[in-house]
Amino acid sequence: MSARARRWLLFALAALVVAVVLFPVYWMVVTSLLPSSVVLSRHPPLLPPPGQVSFAAFAEVFSRRPVLTWILNSTLVVAGSTAVSLAISTLAGYSLSRFHTPAQKAAGAALLLTKMLPGSLIVIPFFVMFTTAHLIDTRLGLIVANVAVGVPFATWMMKGFFDTLPRELEQAAAIDGCTPLQALWHVILPLARPGLAACGIYLAIVAWSEFVFARTLVTKADLWTVTVGLQSFVGEYLVDWPALMAAGVVSLVPMFVLFLLLEPFLVSGLTSGAVKQ
Amino acid sequence: MTSAAAPSPPAGPPARRRGSSLKAGERRLAWLLLLPAFAAVAALVAWPLYVIVQMSLRPGRALALSQLMSQPLGLANYERVLNLPALWAAYGHSAVYTVGSLIPAFACGLVFALLFHRAFPARRWLRSLLLLPWAVPGVVVSITFLWMLDASYGVANAMLRDAGITRADIAWFVDARTAMAAVIAPTVWKSFPFFTITILAALQSIPASLYEAARVDGATARQQFVHVTWPGIRRPALLAVLLNALWTFREFDIIYASTRGGPAGATETLGILVYREAFESFRFGTAAAIGVLMLATAAVFVVLAMRFLREEFR
Repeated sequence: MSARARRWLLFALAALVVAVVLFPVYWMVVTSLLPSSVVLSRHPPLLPPPGQVSFAAFAEVFSRRPVLTWILNSTLVVAGSTAVSLAISTLAGYSLSRFHTPAQKAAGAALLLTKMLPGSLIVIPFFVMFTTAHLIDTRLGLIVANVAVGVPFATWMMKGFFDTLPRELEQAAAIDGCTPLQALWHVILPLARPGLAACGIYLAIVAWSEFVFARTLVTKADLWTVTVGLQSFVGEYLVDWPALMAAGVVSLVPMFVLFLLLEPFLVSGLTSGAVKQ
Repeated sequence: MTSAAAPSPPAGPPARRRGSSLKAGERRLAWLLLLPAFAAVAALVAWPLYVIVQMSLRPGRALALSQLMSQPLGLANYERVLNLPALWAAYGHSAVYTVGSLIPAFACGLVFALLFHRAFPARRWLRSLLLLPWAVPGVVVSITFLWMLDASYGVANAMLRDAGITRADIAWFVDARTAMAAVIAPTVWKSFPFFTITILAALQSIPASLYEAARVDGATARQQFVHVTWPGIRRPALLAVLLNALWTFREFDIIYASTRGGPAGATETLGILVYREAFESFRFGTAAAIGVLMLATAAVFVVLAMRFLREEFR
């Protein structure tokens, strides 16, 4: 077999793998585009019949459910927690990368360990603490809870990025008369911009996916986030599958955009144990 | 080959100054930059952990922190929890769920990484698409599989019917015999990309010259895998298994959004049990005690795994 033929054979194999792996996403989209009469069948068509495709389920889910409110709540929580986590973690990651004191090594290990805490456990003290602090049923409370999850791993991610920048940069800046803080602000941070972007996107994906805090620390329906809203369909007497899949598709679009922006960083430099919630 | 580790210490950036020789100003800056992160972790991780331990030691049903802390200390919560059949069932479910998710996820992740490491047209695009499940929120994964595995109208049963495998309406998530498999399927789907990402990165770091040398020596594809590929990816792959085991052990979203631990507790892992005990039965003390046991279990596992990994990488 020629090298060319082998490449195309590999391509066919890879395309097949991707098709099988993405079938759930495909099925979600197909379901959202078909009326219930077609979808609720013991032999649903694997390819949507062209004449039946409609956006009725999207129209229905937006008119019957406060999807826009959920999206707004999620967006506010994601924006707030990502900004706060990123600011805190950039400073801490820089410190861990550049200054090595024994205490800081211990701090790094502690940060790493906090990644192991189950969300369904840590939410219990959060519930008690937030009740005392009147943070239950507030978006601020959700932001704070997401920061607790975001800071530890984002700090490690940023430390990894700063480690790739040579120390000579600050030394050169010092010779030019920069204070250490000025060197960080004017020299290092601009160079770390790709790292900041990747870390921010990653934080945003995790916060958008977050469920257990939003489900527990918020009881008012008008403060629900997207994940809580989606989950509220489940367990209803008759699940409206096309509407639920339509809402699911809407919730996925921002994730996929963010993911495609993040993906180059994922495979190249980012896998030093930092990735995943 | 490289199995005998080089005697040099792990290569870090050279000539880093030790803490004692840091200038006072630098040390102050180092701590100043760490301060917000320390404050966040102290208030939002360390203090909550302390509250959990306190709660687990205070029997009673107090909801407010002040009330709770005024309860007498005692081990009654642990006594109750250890006599709870649901606890031991949950340990079993957690073990089955973790191992049952990890093995297929790792196998898929490894095979896909080996495939996508080869050169073929449009590889970059296909790779991005392959890794997409990683970015799908657990709740969304869960409801999608809930729909696909629906008893009457699910596409999975329709395919089985059309293929003539079974005519039954298998209620995957509702039948206690299949519910565990039903929650494992979405978990595998969401977690295999992490293995693919990690292993792809490791594969990229294996020098091509090693493969050339192996070919010159007449090594078969299998020999190349055993002697070149696997030694090159073993370390990151095993670390990824360890991390993923911990993440799967504490998984909540996928199970809760689909079965809530049911039917009849068939998918009730420790992470679900903790939550239901706290927020469905409102027994915070026993929930905290279960949580402490869960953390202790994870810690024992990490210590054992680290010992194994250290042997492995000596």
